[in-house]
Amino acid sequence: MTAAIARLRRALPTGVLLLGLATLVIVPMLFILLAAFSTEVPRPGSIGLDALSLENFEVLSTSQAMGALGNSVFIAGAASLVALAIGCGLAFLAARTDAPARRLLYFTGIAPLFLPSLVGALAWSLLGSPATGFLNLLLHGVGLDMTLDIYSRPGLIMILALYYAPYAFLLVHSALSLMNPDLEEAAFVHGGTRRHTLRRITFPLAMPAILGSGILIFALTMENFPVAQVIGNPGQVDTLPSFIYRLMNASPSRGNEAAAVAVVLTAVLLVVTAIQQRAVLRRKFTTVTGKGVKAKLIPLGRWRWPAFAAAMVYFALAVVLPVTALLIAALQNSPYIASLGQLTDADALSFYSLGEMLTSEDLLQAARNSVLTAVLAGLIGTAISFAISYTVYRTNAPGRRVLEFVAMSPLAVPAIVLGLGLLWTWLVAPIPVYGTMAVLVVAFLAVFLPQGYRGVSASILQVDRDLEDSAVLLGSPRAKAVSYVTLPLMRVGMVSTLLLLLMLCMRELSAALFLFTSDTRLLSILIFDNYDNGAMQGAACVSLLYCGVILVIALLAKSLGAKTVEGSR
Amino acid sequence: MKVQLENITLAYGDAVAIKDLSVDIADGESLVLLGKSGCGKTSTMRCVAGLETPLSGRITIGDTVVFDSERRVDVPPNKRNVGMVFQSYAVWPHRTIFHNVAFSLRQQKLPKAEIRERVRDVLDLVGLTEFADRGASLLSGGQMQRVALARSLVMRPSVLLLDEPLSNLDARLRDRLRVELREIQQRLSLTCVYVTHDQSEALALADRIALMQNGRIVQIDRPEKIYDAPFSASIADFLGVSNIFPCTRVASRENLSVLGLTGHDVEVLSRSLPTGPEGAAEGSGAADPADPATPRVCIRPEDIRLLTEPLPEGGNNWLGKVEVVSFQGSYVRYRVGLKGGPELDALVPRHGSALLPVGTPVWATAEPTAVQVLPAEVPA
Repeated sequence: MTAAIARLRRALPTGVLLLGLATLVIVPMLFILLAAFSTEVPRPGSIGLDALSLENFEVLSTSQAMGALGNSVFIAGAASLVALAIGCGLAFLAARTDAPARRLLYFTGIAPLFLPSLVGALAWSLLGSPATGFLNLLLHGVGLDMTLDIYSRPGLIMILALYYAPYAFLLVHSALSLMNPDLEEAAFVHGGTRRHTLRRITFPLAMPAILGSGILIFALTMENFPVAQVIGNPGQVDTLPSFIYRLMNASPSRGNEAAAVAVVLTAVLLVVTAIQQRAVLRRKFTTVTGKGVKAKLIPLGRWRWPAFAAAMVYFALAVVLPVTALLIAALQNSPYIASLGQLTDADALSFYSLGEMLTSEDLLQAARNSVLTAVLAGLIGTAISFAISYTVYRTNAPGRRVLEFVAMSPLAVPAIVLGLGLLWTWLVAPIPVYGTMAVLVVAFLAVFLPQGYRGVSASILQVDRDLEDSAVLLGSPRAKAVSYVTLPLMRVGMVSTLLLLLMLCMRELSAALFLFTSDTRLLSILIFDNYDNGAMQGAACVSLLYCGVILVIALLAKSLGAKTVEGSR
Repeated sequence: MKVQLENITLAYGDAVAIKDLSVDIADGESLVLLGKSGCGKTSTMRCVAGLETPLSGRITIGDTVVFDSERRVDVPPNKRNVGMVFQSYAVWPHRTIFHNVAFSLRQQKLPKAEIRERVRDVLDLVGLTEFADRGASLLSGGQMQRVALARSLVMRPSVLLLDEPLSNLDARLRDRLRVELREIQQRLSLTCVYVTHDQSEALALADRIALMQNGRIVQIDRPEKIYDAPFSASIADFLGVSNIFPCTRVASRENLSVLGLTGHDVEVLSRSLPTGPEGAAEGSGAADPADPATPRVCIRPEDIRLLTEPLPEGGNNWLGKVEVVSFQGSYVRYRVGLKGGPELDALVPRHGSALLPVGTPVWATAEPTAVQVLPAEVPA
């Protein structure tokens, strides 16, 4: 009897955690499944299994859906190859060669992260729209009879590649620079030439990182909604995420079919994520030694400057041109210009509308909302992550492996799909959460749970368990040992996880897409709304502010010595 | 205080770490648990501390039952008054040495003046008086080890557990701290349980050694007893006996056993009666070296002498050739390939004589009393 109670008490914290995570993650997915297989969208008073059918999946046989699926796979595949080429090339230049200004190269590698893909897509539509894009105006201005059309498959691929290359850069750069130089020196000593060593030793050692980041980028670009919508929609290139969005926004809304498409998208991602996790696991055993010994630099000879120039071209395409375009759009007085020459006219540019926009009630409210939800989701997310990590790594509670699995499961669920599931969950839920800021916080908690959990658990693993146990042996209760020893030692890890979550929440659009109301708009939503209504100038103004806020968080994180982006998806 | 472990069994999932282990530790005794990694020695210690929960058994510290699977007693670690020095030291890097050491006294909410005095006393004892206000992250390995020891001593533990406390130190420091530890333990007449895989550490620190294999104690005795009379060849191996060969008994001659080394054409004379439980070496028929029933001839390398002439009075005389010479300061280690036999490991005191070059023909010998015949393993 007492044993049963003791067992219950031991299992209780895990049980509560599991229940919470299930509400956060599993229930929304069940609602998606339910909606996909029934004729009714989940609604208060109308959930049940009595309207089951398979007819929603007929939408998959339409040419639109097949086209969207084909586009998604093709575009994600091509974009990840290009992103991989850019990221690996830059990482190699920055980590292992004598290219000039390698710190600048490193910055080039990560800088595009400060532009969320939504902003990047927006800026490129300013640059490359066939009719009024700045680049096209420039081409026509110098008398060239050619038109750049960003609203196309190649356009989509290029923009996705530009903004996801940093993920490959970060992973490959750390693999290349943490690689134990002894491994390469051993090859030299045993008679390997430099080229031979690169091909036989260095490259294979970095391979898991390259593969892992390639698959990661494939998954991320596959589920990317903002670029697909901003660039794909005008060019009538549908992908699965934008197709889901269109089905939901059709009138009447076709939620059941959207759910069916969501199931397919999730299934594809599930497979991809499973492969990626394996690649990541393998990576652990191969390269990283963390000794911080600098490997020998490879002389590039006459390729030094051409390589540097190529890196700068990337920097221009990903950062300089887009930011310039946003600035011009934010500052220009007339909404449309027919040639770039008009920009040099007196009073062509002014801060009037930028100032107007930045002090508007809409923007202030969105900024407040954004910061509030991000801070709340960051704090709660870090706390939950700590509870999960502690249970998984420091206790032998039953069910802790399940807990870990559930915590990591949102990795395989596209944010837009999770958002859709959360919409139905909280519409049906008896608590009036839908339409409040709380539902946005819940959405961000669910979407970024894996990142939070990974950050905190990496940190808890670095704190030797003996440190806490010794406090207990010296007479302290367990809870006090945690607060006196473990938590203080995890401070840096916890703070950087918090900042990472803040940053990810600030950037997120897709998860909030179906959950906001006019009172709970976020900065990302405001940009998207402005764009959707054709108010490009407004969108550009908010984008600039938005990037500023993200940059500030990133700098804050860096000054705390945190590796902000490493844990991101 | 005395510590009693009765029929302790511990498993991690399906893997059994400790099997039905019982041992009594007397008040003020220093017991060393000696064994290879994975033999269950650290698990046993963690059971005493309360960091692991055995499946069954009873643990008593002093007169208090701290664990009893039948009566469902399980005193949490913070109520057991057990001191523990971790292998990693577990000194909190974010606190000063004073705070580290004073922790347990503050838990007990003692008056400030008393805390200060007791911390100072114990820091004196371990020789760290000057360092009280130093941050703990700036310490060397030896200093960390002392802080960890002081932190446990200050609480006046009923029993002090030490988990390979010297294994992270360099060899010279290890030798010095070993003596210091033994001195402190004897001066305070502390009951100690000490875990190590290093036989010389065990011999130096123990009142008794409990040799552990596969979750059981296979031999427990005073250090010199275990050293002189191990129960099995694998224990002998662990204690530095490097010449171990499977053998068969051929004959008896003037109360000496004549043994043939399996697979070799060499005879060995031994005065040792087969030791160990139930004289396991008697089974003379088996000649398969992989068979655990095959007895083993065990000779310490320091018991082998190398001569240029055979002993005139007979006895063990094996002709061989020096194959490897390794100079070790006061000793020289030779590997000698015996003619028609195995390779012998010999540790010869130098006494200023010249080293024997590789290829030198030598006569190796060992007193029949120094040749032990042991079963491969202690039977379960």
